[in-house]
Amino acid sequence: MIEIKGISKTYDSINAVAALDMTIQPGRIYGFLGPNGAGKTTAIRMLMNIIIPDEGTILFEGIDQRPPSNQIGYLPEERGLYQKISVFETLQYFAHLRSVSHPNDKIRAYLQRFDLGNRLQSKVSELSKGNQQKLQFINTILHDPQYIVLDEPFSGLDPVNQLLLKEILEELKQAGKTIIFSSHQMDQVERLCDDVALINQGQLITAGELKTIMKSEGVQRLQVTPVNEKDLTHQCFSAFISERKNGSVFIEIDGHSKQDIIATLNKSIDLKSVKVAEPGLEEIFIHLVQGSSS
Amino acid sequence: MNAWKIAWFEYRRRIRSKWFIIGTFGMPILILGISLGTGYMAGSGAGIETKNFGLIDETGFYGEQLSLVLDKRFADNETPPFNIAVSMGSFESLKTQFDELVNDKTLDGYFVIPYDFISNPVLRNYSRSSSTFRSSDVIESELKELLIKEKASSLQLSEDVLEEIFFDVDVAHFDIGSSEERETEELIADYIAPFIFMFLLFLGIFTGGQLLLRAVLEERSSRVIEVLLSTVSYNELMGGKILGLGLLGLTQSAIYLIVAFFAGSYYDLSIITPAIGLLYFTYFILGYLLYAGIYIGVGALFDSEQEAQQAIQIITFIAIIPMVLWTMVIENPNSTLVNVLTYIPLVTPFFMMIKIAVGETSIFQIVTSIIVMIISVYGSIRLAAKVFRTGILLYGKRITLPEIYRWLRA
Repeated sequence: MIEIKGISKTYDSINAVAALDMTIQPGRIYGFLGPNGAGKTTAIRMLMNIIIPDEGTILFEGIDQRPPSNQIGYLPEERGLYQKISVFETLQYFAHLRSVSHPNDKIRAYLQRFDLGNRLQSKVSELSKGNQQKLQFINTILHDPQYIVLDEPFSGLDPVNQLLLKEILEELKQAGKTIIFSSHQMDQVERLCDDVALINQGQLITAGELKTIMKSEGVQRLQVTPVNEKDLTHQCFSAFISERKNGSVFIEIDGHSKQDIIATLNKSIDLKSVKVAEPGLEEIFIHLVQGSSS
Repeated sequence: MNAWKIAWFEYRRRIRSKWFIIGTFGMPILILGISLGTGYMAGSGAGIETKNFGLIDETGFYGEQLSLVLDKRFADNETPPFNIAVSMGSFESLKTQFDELVNDKTLDGYFVIPYDFISNPVLRNYSRSSSTFRSSDVIESELKELLIKEKASSLQLSEDVLEEIFFDVDVAHFDIGSSEERETEELIADYIAPFIFMFLLFLGIFTGGQLLLRAVLEERSSRVIEVLLSTVSYNELMGGKILGLGLLGLTQSAIYLIVAFFAGSYYDLSIITPAIGLLYFTYFILGYLLYAGIYIGVGALFDSEQEAQQAIQIITFIAIIPMVLWTMVIENPNSTLVNVLTYIPLVTPFFMMIKIAVGETSIFQIVTSIIVMIISVYGSIRLAAKVFRTGILLYGKRITLPEIYRWLRA
């Protein structure tokens, strides 16, 4: 378990991170989400002990000490690779630093899995951005660490490789690894996380189990699909807070009962289907940020 | 342990790079090529242009005599440095004509031997530029000899007597306790050797320093630094880099010294003794560590190599002092100025190396200079570690001097 207790970091009187509290349970995927400039990278660097917090502590298994480097894998936000050496030498060097036994076999196996098997002797600078990101990810997990910390791991990857990465993260979770990753693309990753922390302008908006947050913080909406498409703009919707999207109207349930809404609409138009729409994480985030600022 | 792993990585990847091989073997070849090449060019007469001078001889005697001795003097030169055309007559009558010849560039200049030259020996020179300056030295010395002969004959002294009076003095050089005269090549080698030691030290220290700067900037700009710092500590990373590139510098120095040793042996010169070799490596290590601190500190402060190089130039400028003053140190190794400069840590290794190679130092100076260096190295590395730790992750931020001062005090 990782406990982050009240960490803060200020740069030139700007609070990059302010009194952040988070608890990361072992064997789970923890999403650290927020828009660009929210303070995610600063918080992750503090977690990695790359920068020292001005205040607060970070406990690994109850101890105020970073675990040994062979138990933690870190993927920085920007590419952290030597450009002028080969793919194989890059992985060999870091494997050597982390005392990986029989590294060459592991390196070959991972490169095969990520479709980089034929790029063993290529210089890093010759790889595309996406392939460099894959190489960096291999470098993060090659030593089979217990904790995996990924800062924006999906950036630069095409949809196929994003899927592959998600698949591998699921496998690592199954293997009991604790995974923490940050992302600004919330909807893209929400299905991957067990727990999330939403952060904005250095401050924690909310944190906890994703399901619970979805349930408690999400604005319940009814997804209504009329029989006639022209009814999408019918006046009867003006009685509610609503939004038109993909051939349906989404109505906020807030303050009304589902039955009342359906009854009101039925008086004016024919409905093809009515269902409760699951709120997206991004919507929850916007809702919470707006709520906290008002 | 991690520091050694980093050191080995840095050492291995650079020693195999073509730039290291080109730098290590190319630099001495280039320097040797330039010195031999310029020597050949100077000796071959290439680049020398024969100048044309006029000479107005008011005495009606010395001009012709001078022309004869100069012909004799330059008889073996394919390209004599100058020709001289003698005209007898007064300056007043010939002046306009000669001035015109100079102005239309037929002549580079002209000389005037005045009528009272024997009692007032002043040779006048008229020219467009200072390029005739060196030639007048030759004319002056030849005329002086002619005057002496003239005066001797007026005193009725024979040629034999003159030869008795004017003779050259030779100096024969011996080592203390030796009866064998030293050869000129040996003397030159002895004179040049201290410079070579200092130069090799200079080359080794600054090659290592520059590589260190580039290594830090490379990791900083490619953000590899973050992955490394999540794996090793700041001190391991900094220590590993200093160690790895220091070993590279040592390898380079060892190659140079071995080459110098065999080259010396070939010419039967013993310029490298075990003691000098040992002290060379001692000063190399201390000098390198001192500059390593500076280079690492600067590397941690700047985003671009251009900015970092500009900042480092100030330091390099100080280190050039021994390159400029080396002849002074060789000739006055124990003057007050040299002794004071010797204890300025940035130049201590270079000055000490010259003094040691000249053989003009004491155990006391060696010990005290090493103590001064050890203290300076400690300070340099300590301060560098503080700057490195704070500055290395501050991207895209212009760091001010008060900020650095705050970090150093922290």
